[in-house]
Amino acid sequence: MAQVIVVTSGKGGVGKTTSSAAFATGLAQAGKKTVVIDFDVGLRNLDLIMGVERRVVFDIVNVISGEAKLSQALIRDKRVDTLSILPASQTRDKDALTKEGVATVIEELSKDFDYILCDSPAGIEKGALLALYFADQAIVVTNPEVSSVRDSDRILGVLQSRSKRAEEKKDPVKEHLLVTRYDPARVEKGEMLKLEDIQEILRIPLLGVVPESESVLKASNTGNPVIMDAESSAGQAYKDAVARFLGEERPMRFTDAEKKGFLSRLFGGRAA
Amino acid sequence: MSSPASEARLEPFRLRGGNFNLLVLRLLDPRVEVIVPALADQFRRAPGFLRNAPIVLGLDDLDPSAAPDFGHLIAQLRSVHIAPIGTTGGATDVRAAAQAAGLPPLRAAGAELPVAAPAAPAPVPEPVQEMPPPPSDWQPTMVVDQAVRAGQRIWAQGCDLIVRGTVNPGAEVIADGNVHIYGALKGRAIAGGAENLSARIFALNFEPELVSIAGYYAVRDGLGDAPLGRIVQVCLIGESMRFDRLG
Ligand SMILES: Nc1ncnc2c1ncn2[C@@H]1O[C@H](COP(=O)(O)OP(=O)(O)OP(=O)(O)O)[C@@H](O)[C@H]1O
Ligand SMILES: [Mg+2]
Repeated sequence: MAQVIVVTSGKGGVGKTTSSAAFATGLAQAGKKTVVIDFDVGLRNLDLIMGVERRVVFDIVNVISGEAKLSQALIRDKRVDTLSILPASQTRDKDALTKEGVATVIEELSKDFDYILCDSPAGIEKGALLALYFADQAIVVTNPEVSSVRDSDRILGVLQSRSKRAEEKKDPVKEHLLVTRYDPARVEKGEMLKLEDIQEILRIPLLGVVPESESVLKASNTGNPVIMDAESSAGQAYKDAVARFLGEERPMRFTDAEKKGFLSRLFGGRAA
Repeated sequence: MSSPASEARLEPFRLRGGNFNLLVLRLLDPRVEVIVPALADQFRRAPGFLRNAPIVLGLDDLDPSAAPDFGHLIAQLRSVHIAPIGTTGGATDVRAAAQAAGLPPLRAAGAELPVAAPAAPAPVPEPVQEMPPPPSDWQPTMVVDQAVRAGQRIWAQGCDLIVRGTVNPGAEVIADGNVHIYGALKGRAIAGGAENLSARIFALNFEPELVSIAGYYAVRDGLGDAPLGRIVQVCLIGESMRFDRLG
């Protein structure tokens, strides 16, 4: 049976789609048969970040309404052959997705894949509820700011009460915290929440900390998930997080501001 | 100046209700010469079992017209180190016979009181006092075993509320009775419903967004010099809210 993982946050713009693309790619690179579904109907951009926007013919709404077969809508990634993408519709609205329809799609995908990632839209309304409903695990993406932590807390409450697992009184959805856009220097200055402050409120296991990094924007503009950029700190952080997700132990990196070296302190210059 | 000893002289005893767990020895045969050897036999196989244990004699299975000789039975039971202290159930006549021998009828918790046995000739010890039954509108305390998260609202209707985790910012807990939080209170806590002025709020780490008792409230900015971050009890004194540090 495939594991269904929702990437969610409540708040918008915190890095769900970036993280979905990175995670899906990372899991596929580890040899897992992985499909990532864009649930953000009307605002699709997973296909852009994955660099497959020019190959989209059908989308999940077409599949659910019976206009296309699932196999026609799935896009096979050209870089990692165990990775597929199921895009969202640009032209329809969220009401086009139904619980029954999504259930059928997930059931069918379960036969062929190890992991089904669901990139949730922002908010706690229908689209987000549908994205998390079938989840076995949840990656809760949080930025080091009060409003993001608050919204993540809300979405955790929703996971615990309105997911299929909760409704059927099964084992709860397994929760993971992924802190993104973490800027240790600004945290040190007190402009952003500390990792410990976030954990104290959310109290779920920490999967990883992805630092604020310019390489993320570059990566999404070129349609290459940032995890493929082995040079970048964000790419390495995502690699670590995927490894932890698969059971490996890796120390947390990128959580402390870079200490100025002895020489640069001496001459007052910036660390390279 | 009153030492505990002088207090004790002023007040020689106190009467308190109490609930006890007792073994019931259900009598299936009225004949003492059958019951006791069978018990002794059981004891040889499980020495120590029941030794000096207070027990209650269950009378439900006895024929109403054939009460055992309770005086003899009590003596025989004591000789094998079993201490009968009362009876439960049974027909009126059987109960009365037991009571005459010094074994009062006990009421099982939650059961109806037995119809009073006819007055016994001998002075009889008082039956074991039980807790008075709760009033009919009594509701068990609501217990929440998890953190209450932002956007969640918990309402303990007509009763107290116990939260075993934190109440996070953006969460709201409401009780018509008291609110007890065995964690941090970082959201809103509302106690006492509309009119219970004596309701209180307790929290192990007091960092609320808002607290309210019976309609009187204080927001975070209005907490003044309340002991934030401490173990705190909130109560109403007249129309003002008081914050007591408990630890
Ligand atoms: N680690 C990072 N460093 C710098 N920028 C980042 C990082 N992660 C995400 N971003 C940027 O933040 C913006 C939002 O990211 P993304 O689209 O992944 O968020 P989202 O949660 O999916 O948003 P939405 O709620 O609209 O779906 C993008 O411009 C992205 O490039
Ligand atoms: Mg997105």
